[in-house]
Amino acid sequence: MSDKNEDAKAAANQKGGNNPERPKEIENFGGPIGLDIGTTNIVSARARGANIQITKQLNAFFTVPASKITGMTLLKNDVLYFSQNGSFYIIGNAADTFANTFNTDTRRPVESGLLSAKEDEALNVIQSIIKTLVPPPKNQGELVCYSIPGDPIDTKISVLHHDTILKRTLQDMGYTAIAINEGFAVIMSELADESYTGIGISMGGGMCNVCFSYLSVPVFSYSIQKGGDYVDTMVGAAVGESATRIKLIKEKELNLLKEPKNKVETSLSIYYEDLLESLILSIQRVITTSESVPRLSKPISVVLSGGTAMPAGVREKFEKLLKANRLPLQFSSVRMAEDPLNTTAKGALQLAIAEEK
Amino acid sequence: MAVPILVFSVDKTRGSLLLKIIENSGFKAKLFDNSLELEYAVRRRRPPIIVFDTKHYQSRQFKIISAFHSRFQDAELILFADPAEIPSFIAAGIKKECCFSDPINPDEVTLKIREIYFIKNRAFLKIKTYFLLLCSLFEGTRDNPYIVFTKKIIMAIAMALAVVVGIAGGFIFYNMSDLPKVQLLESYVPFESSFLYASDGVELAEFYLERRKFVPFYKIPKHVKNAFIAVEDAHFYEHHGIDFFRTIAAFINNIRAGGAVQGGSTITQQLAKMLFLTPEKSLSRKIKEAAISMQIEGRYKKDEILGFYLNQAYFGARAYGIEAASQTYFGKRTEELNVTDAAMLAALPKAPTDYSPFKNPQKAFARRNLALKSMLDRGFIDAEVYAASAKEPVPEYISRKKYAAPYFVEYIRNVMEQKFGDRLYTAGLRIYTTLDLTLQKKAERAVANGAAALARAGMPGVEAALIAIDLNTGAIRAMVGGTNFQKSQFNRATQAMRQTGSVFKPIVYLTAFKNGYSADSTVDDTEVTYSSKDGGQQWTPHNYSRRFYGRVTLRTALSHSLNAATVALANAIGMDKVIATARSIGVTSNIYPHLPAAIGVSEMTLIELTYAYTTFANGRRFDPMVYEKITDRYNIKVEDNAPKGVQAIDPANVAKMRDVLNAVVTEGTSIAAQSLNRPVYGKTGTTDEYKDAWFIGFDDRLAVGVWVGRDNNRPIGDDMSGSHAALPIWINFMKED
Repeated sequence: MSDKNEDAKAAANQKGGNNPERPKEIENFGGPIGLDIGTTNIVSARARGANIQITKQLNAFFTVPASKITGMTLLKNDVLYFSQNGSFYIIGNAADTFANTFNTDTRRPVESGLLSAKEDEALNVIQSIIKTLVPPPKNQGELVCYSIPGDPIDTKISVLHHDTILKRTLQDMGYTAIAINEGFAVIMSELADESYTGIGISMGGGMCNVCFSYLSVPVFSYSIQKGGDYVDTMVGAAVGESATRIKLIKEKELNLLKEPKNKVETSLSIYYEDLLESLILSIQRVITTSESVPRLSKPISVVLSGGTAMPAGVREKFEKLLKANRLPLQFSSVRMAEDPLNTTAKGALQLAIAEEK
Repeated sequence: MAVPILVFSVDKTRGSLLLKIIENSGFKAKLFDNSLELEYAVRRRRPPIIVFDTKHYQSRQFKIISAFHSRFQDAELILFADPAEIPSFIAAGIKKECCFSDPINPDEVTLKIREIYFIKNRAFLKIKTYFLLLCSLFEGTRDNPYIVFTKKIIMAIAMALAVVVGIAGGFIFYNMSDLPKVQLLESYVPFESSFLYASDGVELAEFYLERRKFVPFYKIPKHVKNAFIAVEDAHFYEHHGIDFFRTIAAFINNIRAGGAVQGGSTITQQLAKMLFLTPEKSLSRKIKEAAISMQIEGRYKKDEILGFYLNQAYFGARAYGIEAASQTYFGKRTEELNVTDAAMLAALPKAPTDYSPFKNPQKAFARRNLALKSMLDRGFIDAEVYAASAKEPVPEYISRKKYAAPYFVEYIRNVMEQKFGDRLYTAGLRIYTTLDLTLQKKAERAVANGAAALARAGMPGVEAALIAIDLNTGAIRAMVGGTNFQKSQFNRATQAMRQTGSVFKPIVYLTAFKNGYSADSTVDDTEVTYSSKDGGQQWTPHNYSRRFYGRVTLRTALSHSLNAATVALANAIGMDKVIATARSIGVTSNIYPHLPAAIGVSEMTLIELTYAYTTFANGRRFDPMVYEKITDRYNIKVEDNAPKGVQAIDPANVAKMRDVLNAVVTEGTSIAAQSLNRPVYGKTGTTDEYKDAWFIGFDDRLAVGVWVGRDNNRPIGDDMSGSHAALPIWINFMKED
């Protein structure tokens, strides 16, 4: 699936990252929209004939002190920003460029999958980013399906606040907004051929979302607040490196199938294993306690998606651990989503289309 | 089936799950999480199945379930409950196999719902399945190997079907090609008996191939028609020739029974078979039968068809058609039949012999009452009539009436057979004969008495024959061919060739009169020996009295039956003339062309000679006349048989003949006939050794011939001359009553 914005971003990076790109004006062709609001990225998906158009922004911001000249420079370079409390909030993909320039980390409006309580302007930031991806609806009440995480099982945190804020944002824009669990979005995107029956796991930066669906009915869905960020942070702390650097190593070099070559890889391997075990144990726990899980006569598939699932060997490791743990369900395969970074958005789009019909 | 399966669960996930499971199996379903809404929905449209998930249901008393179960018993309840609670549901009447516990097993649920649903909606689902399959085929799902395969199978079946239909069509067409024309029914003329009537109109006999008398359908009483409809074809007035349901039912019953136990033919089909087809059992015949039946139905009214059928059917005892059957079994006409009679007749055509009241009265009784029951069941008669009719006995055998004049009937049958051939037995002719039944009875009595008298006189086994011919018309008025027709059908009046003796002599005298002689002319009664032309044979005729009377008048010679004088006379005029005279008055038998023939050595029949005497009486020669007129079945005259006498003897010679023949009675061998006290004329005849005794004579009305003799040509008895053996019978017959 080719994508203009992805290409543009890649081109920007090749230029040395000092030329923050701004997404071209999103033309509204109408029709339902799928929106993945993740900890790391916000991805939108729209149907364009037989293809799906994906647009994404980094779900991050970077603040610089507000000044006239800075403002003029940002405008001149088409950098997305807004001004608040004497600061310019550079948002989206450009934030990463600025962060790299200043050799620091971007700030996130979403933390561990939910609106960040730490960031005062999280809501403004996320609304601004969403607006760069989702143009005003052509007709009032057009459908947008946005992803939300499942309730975390290991805390008492609810996704209600997060869900409601996002819904209101989209509704205020003139859309009819419906939420989809991230894990279920994976199922909607990947398991159509299996009657939407199976387990979808979205392994994002802030959390992992799990959903078990039977015939498109989400029997259970939940999240664990461990994700790519957790691995990065824990490994960084263990080896004395920044999380950003660990993330780069993880994304570019990590192969869990191979013997670790250094302490970073060793540590990454350890924390990945911890993450995957946590995930499988959570699945085991939920299945055994659920009153709704049906008795299945056929084995089901597990689909992994999200950036955290992308390093080589994650799937194999997951499958191995899954087999090692006894679960009351039989699994036919563990596979990666076709387009792991966009799976959730695509699944959300599928639901939006289905709802529209 | 528009009413969906209702699913209730307060647990949204479980409810959705159950809903999906059901929908995924192809059923419509609706989810409720509120019991009030569920109750409302159930009341509004009764669902076939209610799936009730008790998980998290607030009231553990489950009153709603009991209520559903008792109020909507045609709806099946499927429950999901804790295992501990299931026994209480079962106790409340919920089927055990409809109670499930966790985890939800989609296969189990689907199976149960399908099972219930399919049982409840079997027919609808079948139709739906076929319809969907057809839709799939038309939509064309090239990628689905099953549909492609199914398509091929259906195509193959369709092609096979087309071939079968083609062959069947061809076969039917082939069979239709030589279909008889139903239009022939326009001129429907069933074989009908011909009837013989005496001159006074009394029926004498019936000649038939199929004993039948046609009766038009409008003369057949309604209850008679109803009886046949009830027994043979209950839907006669509804179908169009073929009763498909009955045919199929009969087919199935026959297969079950492994043989033909039930007929599926309608009355129309039976008619088609009887009229146009052979009784062979073949598919070809069945097809033709069906085709003809439909044609008949298209052309004729139901009552007409029923009329044809009733006139055509065979009822046993050689009775064809309802009229003949009515006469045979009840001695009634069809119009006179009552309900019981009608039921009896309706019971017969299926197996006329088996159910014949004459042969198997008990079976006939049972079968007739079955027919009555059918009439009752169809509402043709009420219970009262049924009860009364069912008690009636079946008819007993009526011995067939004997022909009043069997020899005459047999004689006329031969005559008519020569005239009409086989039509005599099929054309329904009405033959009005010349027979006078009174005279016939008199004749039979006279013959019987004569034979009895001879028997009493020690001469048993003597046969006698009599024939009486009307002088004015030549019509036969009485004919007795023997003493016992049952014993011997040989007709001695018409078939027996016997030497005539002296009854031939009047022909010699007539020849003489024609050649100028008179009754007073004389002839020598002397002993003369005649030689044959070659001189090889010599013959000297003697008189009965063994005396010769010298010169005698012809009157004397004949009245005393003098052989020598008669031979002398014949010799004088020539035998060829005598023979010519014989021929002129109707004698056709061979006549010995020599003198002995003059005194009756040639063999002739009684009828032949009696007709000759008829000519003596008034000069006119008649051919035997046995009927006056013949009409067809519609009483339209076919032939009017007017007397056709030919003047064969001039009146002067008639007078001479009357003179000499009267002298026989007044002064000759037949003096006994004077007892009749009226002028009568005649001549006796006796052959050698009293083998034949004749008397043929006439009065002013009838010529009557009597012959007495034995079939074996042995002597009757001593002194049994014509005047002793035959004349008494003649006198007896000629006596005024």
